[in-house]
Amino acid sequence: MLRAIQYVLLLGVLVANVLPLAWIFATAFKPDTEIARYPPTILPHAPTLANFRNLFTISDFGAYLGNSLIVSGVTTGATVLFGMFGAYSVSRFYFPLTRGLGEFALFAYLIPPILVVVPIAQIVIRLHLADNLAALIVIYTAILLPFALWVLRSYFRGLTVDIEQAAMVDGCTRLGAFLRVVVPQATPGLISTGLFTFNAAWSEYLFASVLLPSPDKRTLSPGLVLLMNQTGVYSWGLLMAGAVIVVLPVLVLFVIAQRSLIRGWGAGALAG
Amino acid sequence: MIRSGTAVRPPISRGLSDRRLALLLTLPAAILLLTFAVYPFAAAAADSLFRVDFLSGARTFLGLENYLLVLSDPEIRAAFGRSFVWTVTNVVIQATTGVGIALLLNAQLFGQTLARGLVLFPYVVPAIVTALVFQFMFNDVTGLVNYLLVDTHVVRAPISFLADPKTVLWTLIAVNCWKYTPFIVIVVLARLQVVPVELYDAAAIDGAGAWASFCQVTLPWIMPVLLVACLLRTIWTAYEFDLPYLLAFGGPLGASTTVPIEIRTLAFGRQEIGAASALAACAAILLAAGAYFYLRAYRRSEERVE
Repeated sequence: MLRAIQYVLLLGVLVANVLPLAWIFATAFKPDTEIARYPPTILPHAPTLANFRNLFTISDFGAYLGNSLIVSGVTTGATVLFGMFGAYSVSRFYFPLTRGLGEFALFAYLIPPILVVVPIAQIVIRLHLADNLAALIVIYTAILLPFALWVLRSYFRGLTVDIEQAAMVDGCTRLGAFLRVVVPQATPGLISTGLFTFNAAWSEYLFASVLLPSPDKRTLSPGLVLLMNQTGVYSWGLLMAGAVIVVLPVLVLFVIAQRSLIRGWGAGALAG
Repeated sequence: MIRSGTAVRPPISRGLSDRRLALLLTLPAAILLLTFAVYPFAAAAADSLFRVDFLSGARTFLGLENYLLVLSDPEIRAAFGRSFVWTVTNVVIQATTGVGIALLLNAQLFGQTLARGLVLFPYVVPAIVTALVFQFMFNDVTGLVNYLLVDTHVVRAPISFLADPKTVLWTLIAVNCWKYTPFIVIVVLARLQVVPVELYDAAAIDGAGAWASFCQVTLPWIMPVLLVACLLRTIWTAYEFDLPYLLAFGGPLGASTTVPIEIRTLAFGRQEIGAASALAACAAILLAAGAYFYLRAYRRSEERVE
């Protein structure tokens, strides 16, 4: 009896989790006339790619996609690189600056973006860097760096220093030992940090909406908002096609790296 | 080649000294954090005392006038009220359903591995995608939810979930819980997987039933991590902008305008940088209190683990 209840609950939870995603995909391939039909069809009766074609022809969606790829890609690279350097220092050296960085990273991780967006936007606008993707990349890197420092620091601390020391004894410089010995060992941690960073930059809306006012400079999230407002009576097929394209890379990364992601995020939230 | 036995530190002549290297490796991260975390707080604190021209940055000193405005404006007070309801309701629902789902996923059911993977999925879906699909599903004309509710005679007429000031905040809370409950599930599930079995055996010998062993063994075991997870979620939920804004844009009639949305409207809609900064400063004080409790709970849970 208990088992039966548990299975019913589990099924309910799974449906609630998966149904919205399934609905995005089902709708994206339906023609507009079918979306408006009552009662609604579950799977598309006449599957079509028209929504995707329209998305790229009547809107700047291609530009949004390109901007988002550039911003998220470069942000991920920079965050992982600087995070790796900083976290290694914090976990191996005990100078005032490194210790300060280690402690401050935990605090900075908690800073809500909404509390810093106004001053940051003022700087960006006064320096005439609005619509500049590079400015957004620098800001994203700064915002996402504390998490990277936090996760990678605990990762580096977990690695044994023996091999590193052996390499230095054998004539490696410390930097050489770091790059040749520590970094390869830390690759799983670097990958999960990178995926988290990519997902966060890919999804971000607040800074992108404030700092990229011109329509063709937008990233995906503010781009889709623009599309939502332009279509008036919402053209759900078009918007769901956009949602499919935004969520697809996330899904692929998630499926590939699920295990290490869960481990890394759990660690990031709670482990030292 | 110089061999120095067990020495950790390489001789100075080989490569950079540790001090230089530490400086070099730390500097980029330190500069970024100083510029984008420390400076903005200082700038916001200063701006809150001035009337600031949005484009030129020209300032007129006002003293505490912005704070008085923020604390007396009925709209902003209402936003604080909504933020309170939003935060408390979200965290309570996420904590209880999160623990429930984690227990369910730890109950050795068939298909557990697949279920664990699928349950975490909403957490990684971008806010814009979540917002779009729920706007569509909660739509009063073409929405799936209304179709199901009307079809099963739960309601007689479709509900305008996101367009009615009375229902909008609750709808946003439901969607937010859909997206963020997995965070609690991840954290609690990880903890449940390492419960020492002896604890349950001991409880069973003492004659504890399922409910008693939950209260005496499971709950105390997950409590430290649950507490920290809840505090994190409290902070992130209280200052969350993207998802609630993208679902309802603060409307209709301001009924979903929480403090973060009010800050953005003040700064970029009405271009009142000073007032927006004062509101952010008030919110930051509340955050500092939250962070204090977070750090304390974090240290305590760490001590307990050791």
